[in-house]
Amino acid sequence: MSSSALMSIGVRAMFANYASMQTTGHNIANAQTPGYSRQTVQLASSGGQNTGDGFFGKGVDVVTVKRASDDFLEAQSQTASSMAAMDDARSSNLEQLETVFPPGDTGVGAAVGNFMNAFVDLANSPADSSARQVILSDAAEVADRFSTAGGQLDRLQNGVSSDLRNSVAQLNQMASQVATLNSDIAALRGSSAVPNDLLDQRDELIKQIGNLVKVSTIASSDGTMGVFIAGGQRLVLGAESQQLAVTPDPTNSSRSVISISDSGILHELPGSLLVGGTISGLLQYQNEDLVSARNQLGQMAAAVSGRVNQIQAFGIDLGSPPGAGNPVFAVGGPVATPNAHNLRDAAGGFASSVSLTVTDATQLKASDYTLTPDPATSGNYIVTRQTDGVQFSMAPNGGSYAFTRLSDGAAMGDSMDGMQITINGTLDPNDSFELQPVGRAAVSMARVLDNPAGIAAAAPITAVTGVANTGTATVASLAVVSTSNDPTISTAINFTDASGDYSYTLTDASGNVTSSGNGTWTAGQPIALNGFELNLNGVPASGDTISVVKTAHPESNNGNALAMVGLRDETLVGQDMQIDGTLQDGETATDAYASVLANVGVRVQSAKTSSTLSTAASQQADAAVADKSGVNLDEEAGRLIQFQQGYQAAAKVLQVAQAIFDTLLQMASH
Amino acid sequence: MTVDRISTSFAYDSALNNLMSRQDNLTQTQEQMTSGKRVVKASDDPAAAARAERARALEDRTTASQKAVDASNNAMTLTESALGDASELLQQARELMVSAGDASYSDDERASKATAIKAIRDQLLSVANRPDGQGGYVFSGQGSGGAPFVDQPGGVAYQGVGGSINVATDEPLPLTLDGGNVWLSANTGNGVFVTNNVNSGNAWIDSGRVTSPDLITNSSYDIQFSTAGGDTTYSVLKDGNTVSSGNPFTSGQEISVDGMSFTISGAPADGDDFQTTPSTKSLSVFDALDSAVAQLSKPDQGGSRVQQAVEDSLRNIDQCNSQISSARSFAGTTLQRLDGVKGRLDATELSAQTSRSSAEDLDMVKALSSFNQQQTGYQAALQSYATIQKLSLFNYLNA
Repeated sequence: MSSSALMSIGVRAMFANYASMQTTGHNIANAQTPGYSRQTVQLASSGGQNTGDGFFGKGVDVVTVKRASDDFLEAQSQTASSMAAMDDARSSNLEQLETVFPPGDTGVGAAVGNFMNAFVDLANSPADSSARQVILSDAAEVADRFSTAGGQLDRLQNGVSSDLRNSVAQLNQMASQVATLNSDIAALRGSSAVPNDLLDQRDELIKQIGNLVKVSTIASSDGTMGVFIAGGQRLVLGAESQQLAVTPDPTNSSRSVISISDSGILHELPGSLLVGGTISGLLQYQNEDLVSARNQLGQMAAAVSGRVNQIQAFGIDLGSPPGAGNPVFAVGGPVATPNAHNLRDAAGGFASSVSLTVTDATQLKASDYTLTPDPATSGNYIVTRQTDGVQFSMAPNGGSYAFTRLSDGAAMGDSMDGMQITINGTLDPNDSFELQPVGRAAVSMARVLDNPAGIAAAAPITAVTGVANTGTATVASLAVVSTSNDPTISTAINFTDASGDYSYTLTDASGNVTSSGNGTWTAGQPIALNGFELNLNGVPASGDTISVVKTAHPESNNGNALAMVGLRDETLVGQDMQIDGTLQDGETATDAYASVLANVGVRVQSAKTSSTLSTAASQQADAAVADKSGVNLDEEAGRLIQFQQGYQAAAKVLQVAQAIFDTLLQMASH
Repeated sequence: MTVDRISTSFAYDSALNNLMSRQDNLTQTQEQMTSGKRVVKASDDPAAAARAERARALEDRTTASQKAVDASNNAMTLTESALGDASELLQQARELMVSAGDASYSDDERASKATAIKAIRDQLLSVANRPDGQGGYVFSGQGSGGAPFVDQPGGVAYQGVGGSINVATDEPLPLTLDGGNVWLSANTGNGVFVTNNVNSGNAWIDSGRVTSPDLITNSSYDIQFSTAGGDTTYSVLKDGNTVSSGNPFTSGQEISVDGMSFTISGAPADGDDFQTTPSTKSLSVFDALDSAVAQLSKPDQGGSRVQQAVEDSLRNIDQCNSQISSARSFAGTTLQRLDGVKGRLDATELSAQTSRSSAEDLDMVKALSSFNQQQTGYQAALQSYATIQKLSLFNYLNA
């Protein structure tokens, strides 16, 4: 029984309470620190000493400072936060994409509608130069809106690349910080205590990295945490971290991909493996949403421009002398991009190239394609349509290629989806090309006709019913439908009986008969000769005649203007050529735009919903973590008082021990 | 003991998040109320945005069609009034012709009638060439490089292309009429056959009529007179072949041949020949008046020649008038049709506007009520935040 025992108990108690107060103070100080886990001092009784009269306790020991953390909750929170960041990135970028397709009068659809409606005024008075001027300025507006929208999409693409670079720079910095922390923590592994604050910092950094790209972590026995991304690619292992980089996509350098630098060599990380995090959201936006929007916009631009120019070429303008109309619009042409890894020749250029020609702009699809050599048959190629994965085989056939749909073996002829493909050079078996028939169409759209007299309002041929006709047949419509029409040839149609049988004669300008024959007219079906289609109302009687001759007075004819007006109802976007040669309807220009804007709207809506849901899930997970490891100021205040009292009590014990020692000394000195 | 701990910083964060999202909703509602639109961008309601887009396109289209209908309306109004003028002029010519048949007139008096008819003919030419006020011509058909009717030796010719130009509406509405059909294609004769005085100066033949439509053939007939033996007889030839001969002739008596019947009056001389041929649609208004003028201007005509001239001219003028009236009624019915089309277009426009409005416009009552709701919720959140943040144990501890 010595006073020193009491003293040491008092000292121990004071120390323990002081340590607790210090830790409580640390908690209070770090109440707002993100990622901080509440720390508590673990106290244990110092045990008892057997003095023969019983076990007498020796006081209290501070075992360690423990932080309140739950690995499982942390992991859940990381995952949820990563998903929320991905959805948020995609949602906010999609909202920007939406501004490219406004509904109403400022949109592309309204401009196309105005342009086509302006031809109604021209049809009312074909010689009116102010109606022509209005058409030209409407055409400029159409080209302008398409090219502005295309330019906005290109800028959004640049924005994505720039956001990716920023994110990757942040990630690289954080990864190297994690590596540093790993080495610091490992160095401290020897002592039995746990470096709580370092662990908190590392967890927080990993969560931040997780917000950029989803990570999985594996703790190793030396205390370091291995961080892995993209399904097993190591980012941080031990004290070493790898660097990510943003590199151009080998299939198309305007897009970006993420690569990881491994021993100085950059390996591309497949986008499908980078799930979760802002980077993944940006990549999905770049590779799916932007591509789809650009292709849909380009498909509309190409189809409208193609048909308008075609009808313009069929008509007669007001030039002197009047001639076939010249194109009104020009759009960006189809593009075939070689993969950056394709075989190169000695000079460094590519050994092979692919070129595309548009044969029918109304059949172009809103999709990119991939062209690769057919591994099974040398000399053949496989073309894959990226929106739906449908594959076509391309086999040499004379000077061109024959396309066959692989799923059912259907023969598509020498062109597919409105385009023809030419291969120059020989492809290496590992080569591939990305084909963009409509991707670059919109951004380069321009009006190329400036002279109002250049609008072809007149049809090249006119149909006149015979003066002596006794039947009720009148001309409903006459339209040139093919470039094979020769306006200098006059067609005389003579009905031989009352049931629609007729004989026809085609005479050239010098009066020589070039061809003749017989046919039968049925109500509702056009008479198709010399590249034109003639529709009749009423019923012709025997002996009635109709002649189709070159238009004598183009300045007062409005036949071609009527054909342009007819484009409003023509389903010219995305027609489908069936196997039997018939064309399945696409959409009208108005419906196509309504589809695009609804499509983008649905994407935005669903992205917003995903974002709301994943943010809510993330907040819930964060709440669970905060419950476990968060600091509650009221609780800390209470504990502070508690340990303060304890400290005061312990100090009192020391005081009493000191008083006893004084008493003993006094006793001993007598 | 497990405690449901609330981390202080997390509590603040989540309260602030709540405030932010309420404020965001409130701002959105306010924006909707200011613009009056529920659907400002496509993501607000994609299906409604697509509907509104299609409705807007339809609205623009009906506006364009209404302009086309107006153009056709103007053209047909002009046409109808031109044809009205033409009818009146022909009526005047008819009256002049009737009065010129007065047997007591001298050559000079007839010549002065001829001059008046010539003036009417010239007026009719300018009606036929009436401009449409937009640089074109009303009767230009499918186009003429200038005035559609040209006066040249041999008669008035039509420079335009037959048919008519239509405006760009879903049903064909005309901008022009076929001038050749209106002015140059009246029926000759009485519509079925034409009677012609070949060489007789003492007798005249009327226009004839159809007594039996089934018996009408497409042949040409000659009535040849001979006065052999003191009696006037006539023979009937069909396409040059004699059908009957020696028929006794009485002036003013009906002669019937193959369903046709006509009257020859006067005293035909030997060798006088009258012909009938099938009608064609080739009578020109101008030719009709020109030949009337020519006949009346000739001096020393004698009674029967004048009668013949008057008979032929009245017949021709009536046919021309009938052709012009028929064209005029076509213009009139087209104007009626245009009224109907206009009405339908107005209804379509209204329906498109209604559709657009219901798709994208804001229901103000609903919006106001939800605005109030959100406002109250936001106020409550703000108040509760202000109250709770004051509560802390530290306030109650003194050092």
